[in-house]
Amino acid sequence: MNTYYAVNLLVYAGVDIIACLALNLQFGVSGIVNFSFIVFQAVGAYAAAVLSMPPDTANFGFQHYIGGYSLSFPIPWIGGAIAGGLLAIPVGFVVLRKLRSDYQAIALLVLSVIANAVITNADKFLGGAAGIALVPQPLSERVDSGTEPYQYLYVGITAVCVVIVLALVNRIVNSPYGRSLRAMRERELAATAIGKNPVQLKMTIFIVGGAIAGLSGAILVGYIQVVAPSIWLYPETIILFAAIIVGGRGNNVGAILGALLVPVGFEEITRFLNNSPSIANLGPPGLIPALQWVAIGLLIIGFLWFRPEGVRPEARRVFEGAPVRED
Amino acid sequence: MLAASQPLVTADRPMLVASDMHRHFEGLHAVDGVSIDVPAGKITGLIGPNGAGKSTLLAVLAGTLPATSGAIVFDGEDVTSWPAYRRARHGLVRTFQLPSEFARLTVLENLLVAAPKNRGDSLVGALRGRAYWIEDERRLVQQARALLKRFGMSMKESDYAGTMSGGQKRLIEIMRALMLGPRLLLLDEPMSGVHPKIVLEIQHYLEDLRAEGLTILMVEHELHMVERLCDTVVVMAQGKVIGSGTMSSLRRQREIVDAYLVG
Repeated sequence: MNTYYAVNLLVYAGVDIIACLALNLQFGVSGIVNFSFIVFQAVGAYAAAVLSMPPDTANFGFQHYIGGYSLSFPIPWIGGAIAGGLLAIPVGFVVLRKLRSDYQAIALLVLSVIANAVITNADKFLGGAAGIALVPQPLSERVDSGTEPYQYLYVGITAVCVVIVLALVNRIVNSPYGRSLRAMRERELAATAIGKNPVQLKMTIFIVGGAIAGLSGAILVGYIQVVAPSIWLYPETIILFAAIIVGGRGNNVGAILGALLVPVGFEEITRFLNNSPSIANLGPPGLIPALQWVAIGLLIIGFLWFRPEGVRPEARRVFEGAPVRED
Repeated sequence: MLAASQPLVTADRPMLVASDMHRHFEGLHAVDGVSIDVPAGKITGLIGPNGAGKSTLLAVLAGTLPATSGAIVFDGEDVTSWPAYRRARHGLVRTFQLPSEFARLTVLENLLVAAPKNRGDSLVGALRGRAYWIEDERRLVQQARALLKRFGMSMKESDYAGTMSGGQKRLIEIMRALMLGPRLLLLDEPMSGVHPKIVLEIQHYLEDLRAEGLTILMVEHELHMVERLCDTVVVMAQGKVIGSGTMSSLRRQREIVDAYLVG
């Protein structure tokens, strides 16, 4: 395994872990079925791209996008997080206030499809179908980003972000506020009847989760240096949902485990299979990548059927001084 | 413990006054011009045949269902336009006819989650960390454990509420409502589907709560229970109030007996 591959895997793992922690906060803890999650990651990636890129007249104007501010790290990443949070405000305002939760899920899924189609076709806005390429890497004006140490530096910065995000979501989930979120997830009407304002709770978590998703997008675009509609199609959200379901809804450790097992582990294994000539040549072209989606679907169904609580279920909270039961 | 946090109430002052309440579903007038006073410090019963609009009235008073029209004054304040969560924080707390526990929260957590005034129960408070809210949490755990002890459920505190029996879920819901420090408790058939032994327990708890000054409005089908427990009774049929008074006086009114109190 060469350095490039290892670093690649580690950065993807970091991005997926951050995304899964955010989705776990929204879906696992608060019960918001955010089927447009990937859009929030994408908006963070685009925001970080246009904040760090020079204006689109540079590089002989071969690509078109708005903005282009040549800002240096960490502003594009912070901007990515803010963009994710800002997008959550209008979306949440429309979707979370009036609709019942199953319709919320459908509306968000449709939003994800529409957003992708719009960005793909608005080719002067954010690069259209081709997207935005040659996004400068963080600190590349000071450190040569082509070197091996830089690769490790990138992994290090990603790891710091993972630790910060984990600390934040842990504080939320393990607090009385997290308890209110779980109560809302369990029974929204009863939560209202004990003085919780579900719209406010959901909006807040939608924004916090959106900001974290935006950060994950910024980290991703800083590494792969390109963002295009093809990398944030709606099924990407389904993969993250699979990760949460496999890892354990409501459990942050489960979310991390799910991120390592599904988007990283499962996808890597199936990609390996596709790279092996004897397997890749089976059946008509495109069979193996298609089966990859079938496998993700089966993984979700299998877990929901046989182990709905996931590998690491949500922990039961036992308080200090609780009477010991004789069982 | 409860009474200490309650303002002193005089017996003749109404805790809640609802005037000309309407709730229509498409063409159905589930609540059709109901006006009731709920006297402070008393248990008021709300009875009537199935489909009379009792539960709808309760939901409209609590705000969990918006009223089509009407005005509600709770403890001297007009709460008509308030959303349900705000009424609950203000002490107008309802329970539900069907079990409504938070299944994957423990019994203790079901109580704690209802407690107002916890510094950790906001995003900012949560982000400030455990040290910021742990004092509040400890105080509320004590308060919740006192309630669990009183309702005989101390040993169950760490069990998931979803695994409790129907009767225990009723008790959890009543305790949860009490954690809010209510001034008026709206109970929707607290005895339905509950083992007779627990029915008696619930009855005693409700009597104790009344003695501590809590006002209760309860929907109940079991008339013997209503007779034993309720100071006044309001009878509803087809969305309207058709009579009110003590149970024994109602039994003497011909039209009410015909409409509901058969036998």
